[in-house]
Amino acid sequence: MHIPDGFLSTPVWAALDVVGIPTAGYIVRVAQREFEDSKVPLLGVMGAFVFAAQMINFPVGVGTSGHLVGGALLACTLGPAAASVVMTAILAIQALVFQDGGILALGANVFNMAIVGVFAGYLPYYLWGRGRARRASIFAAGALSVAVSALLAMAELLLSGVHMPASILGVSLGLFAVSALIEGAITMAVIGALEAIQPNFPRPLAAARARNYAVGALALAALVLAAGGVVAASTAPDGIERLALDTGIAQHARTWIASPLKDYQAGFLGAGWPAQAGAGVLGIAMAGGLCVLIGRKR
Amino acid sequence: MHHVTLDQWSRGVSGLHQRDPRVKIAAVLVFLVVLATAHRMLPWLCLALFAVLCTVTLAARIPLAGALTRAGVVLPFSAVFAAVSWLAGDPQRGAALLMKSYLSAFAVLLLVSTTPLPLLLRGFEMTGAPRFLLMVAQFLYRYLFVISEEAQHMRKAAWSRGATAAGLAGNAQRFRAAAGALAVLFARSYARAGDIHRAMLSRSFPGYFRPLVELHLHREDVAFLFGGVLTPIVLRVLIEGAS
Repeated sequence: MHIPDGFLSTPVWAALDVVGIPTAGYIVRVAQREFEDSKVPLLGVMGAFVFAAQMINFPVGVGTSGHLVGGALLACTLGPAAASVVMTAILAIQALVFQDGGILALGANVFNMAIVGVFAGYLPYYLWGRGRARRASIFAAGALSVAVSALLAMAELLLSGVHMPASILGVSLGLFAVSALIEGAITMAVIGALEAIQPNFPRPLAAARARNYAVGALALAALVLAAGGVVAASTAPDGIERLALDTGIAQHARTWIASPLKDYQAGFLGAGWPAQAGAGVLGIAMAGGLCVLIGRKR
Repeated sequence: MHHVTLDQWSRGVSGLHQRDPRVKIAAVLVFLVVLATAHRMLPWLCLALFAVLCTVTLAARIPLAGALTRAGVVLPFSAVFAAVSWLAGDPQRGAALLMKSYLSAFAVLLLVSTTPLPLLLRGFEMTGAPRFLLMVAQFLYRYLFVISEEAQHMRKAAWSRGATAAGLAGNAQRFRAAAGALAVLFARSYARAGDIHRAMLSRSFPGYFRPLVELHLHREDVAFLFGGVLTPIVLRVLIEGAS
């Protein structure tokens, strides 16, 4: 689910740009260390593969077909950091060339699909990929990556104040569940076929690597829970404000934090929309600055 | 194909095509932020911004009708959510979703159809995006055509063996066949990437793309930057002031 521009409210897209883009920058650095510059063609071509894979239809049910989304497949074959880079590149090309997903919303889409989606998809494979439950873990990887991305996108839309009647919300959650199961089945079948072609294609899970990712895995579990919580919270009208009122954050937050971007307004620009827009631009500038810092070569 | 047309448009000749990619990126970002944060008098603001974008399209000698249609790819998605908002008793938000998403897509389309993608990605490099990521994106775009063509061949082959859409009723064997096709495509892409890498090494690839032309900011670029940044802001101030 690619969120176009104009769907998310300024606080939501600005916050996700500030969080998502530097995180993607950090992951790029990790992947670069792992893959060295000379492997650039591999990641690019695998990105093209994910695009092209959409042309291969999988029969699911009567007269309908599904296709691969790819985050979990890449995570199991190239490793999560590289998969995250490939998905980020795909989202950038889709936003620029195909107008599929917005530019301001790129941070949100990268966060949902390339960061949380990929790492959530890697989690089951990482935990159970070696044991007897290997096939089940690959299925869970595909299903989880799609489900978490879709839930996050839905939560962000609800937080932005897009109203959804309960019935429609229920239907969309059902659709998410179905597409998650389809992605799980496709990922499992493709990896099975890949192993038949060449047994070492799915990335072997080395024990030495395990400790590195253990922390990340825990963080992910927290994130998954958070995503579920956000959805539950946002079924209430105007979720974020309701949540703030319910928890009493609204009264305290103003006095606790006197950040220059308070209320997503740049205080020194006065009130009203120039302040909001200024805060948005500053947010982008901050994200860009962080990228420069993180992306600098060692 | 969508991207082939964009590729042709982006190699056109006009004042807009010649501008430095960085100033175009800055102008589009400001446009998007002004639009995304707008609430009051939205229909009028959208109308004014739409007129600006149409003028720019004509100035760039891009076929207007084609550009308008292509920007419409966001409409199906937006229309669903607009309908949902309308059902939820918030038709104004629905209309805002439609207008904002369409105009944003139109603005980005103009950026891409006046700047060849390699130049555009170099423009983004100057804004701090990691070079490694941009190189991956560039390779992705380059091999998109190649691998897609391979996938099309495979699909045609499957069809010619009777795997048409009509017979898609929950067939486990066909599902497995599709998975096998995808696995073969994966393995071929993987092998191709290895070949590409070896070919690049044999041509002494330094680990990054050597730019053929250096980017320079000319006086026209600075003028365009001011015009492009100020136009949406001034329009919004004027329109909101009139209310």
